[in-house]
Amino acid sequence: MSDYFSTMFTVVVLSLVANIGIALYGIFAKPSLIKKFIALTIFSDSINSFAIAIGFRRVAGSYPSVAVLADVPGSPEELQRFSATSVDPLPQALVLTAIVIGLAVYMFLAGLIMLYYKHYGTTRVDVARGGPRG
Amino acid sequence: MRVREIVIASSIALMVLLLAYVIDLGGLGPLAPHTVRSIARAYLEYVYNPWNATVSSMALEAVTAIVWDYRGLDTYFETSVLFVAIIGVATLYRGYRELKGLGGTGLSEIVKTSTRVLVPLILVAGASIAIHGHLTPGGGFQGGSFMAVLMILLAVVFSLDYAFEKGLTSRRLLAIRSAGLVGILVTSIALLVAGALAGVGAYIFQNMAREGSDFSMPTWLLDRPLGGTLFFFNIFESLAVVSGLTLTFIVLALRKEEVDQALAAGEWYE
Repeated sequence: MSDYFSTMFTVVVLSLVANIGIALYGIFAKPSLIKKFIALTIFSDSINSFAIAIGFRRVAGSYPSVAVLADVPGSPEELQRFSATSVDPLPQALVLTAIVIGLAVYMFLAGLIMLYYKHYGTTRVDVARGGPRG
Repeated sequence: MRVREIVIASSIALMVLLLAYVIDLGGLGPLAPHTVRSIARAYLEYVYNPWNATVSSMALEAVTAIVWDYRGLDTYFETSVLFVAIIGVATLYRGYRELKGLGGTGLSEIVKTSTRVLVPLILVAGASIAIHGHLTPGGGFQGGSFMAVLMILLAVVFSLDYAFEKGLTSRRLLAIRSAGLVGILVTSIALLVAGALAGVGAYIFQNMAREGSDFSMPTWLLDRPLGGTLFFFNIFESLAVVSGLTLTFIVLALRKEEVDQALAAGEWYE
């Protein structure tokens, strides 16, 4: 039987999955490009939080515990203690990469949407007919 | 139309339920686990390890070490993607010219004064995040974004006219962006070139001395670890990010007259 902490952690992860689903619905079903854009950012933020949550490690006993290497040059024992209590750094590195690329792509999309609005006079994809160039 | 939305909503609900069921069954292992995967354990043990220096990157920050040392080539191409996206924004609005004297005066005097107080604080905080990226949480991306906020604040509070007067033109920002990317490139092949000149083997993206190559980037600055290439990568990356994000923001904030210029230029190209 799992304890309170594990249950709540599972609830958080599952709610992130639900968040991903809602954001996907926004991307597919909303006709406005601005709303699609907002849903896309929510989608990506949910996935990033999800990845970081998966890399979490629970250390028995001491909460809140922050595993840092504070002493330089330190000792091998301290290094062992650090690697035995720290969370997984790999998802954080990947999420950092994803955030930066996401930011650049969102700026590109925002510029594209602004040009779309200038061209068609609306950001809705279902009513945009014609425009200056047919 | 109604049927289509119902199909979309029900299929997404089904996807969420199935994913939740898999996770609840333990598809991702036990949640809030007490152990991490062995690769994470290896990274944590190698990131700062003077007693096993041929696999260590000698930096106290595991995320920066992974991003710029162990997976340096990935990050190089990632920063190229960032560059290409910025080029894409500049291409969408190609042909615009910075117009002066459109009458922008910025916000009120109160906001301007408080912004003047904030400017050095934001600058110092962003620079310390970038330059201490190998010691404390942070790095080039984060510090660069931090300082880009400062530039955006300047452009909003003091008006775009003021920003253009102070030299935040697209040409100069793109030049700084490219210089940052070239700096990253030079840092990544510095030891390779040094090895080739000395006639011994060395690696691309090499940081510390590795097996088969005795060359090493500087490891210590006085009594603090320097992390070798990480320090230089962080500085160049923060330069690249601050100029690139400022450029895209300025392009997105262009006034109507300038965008009309860009649209006219676009028709000219067609």
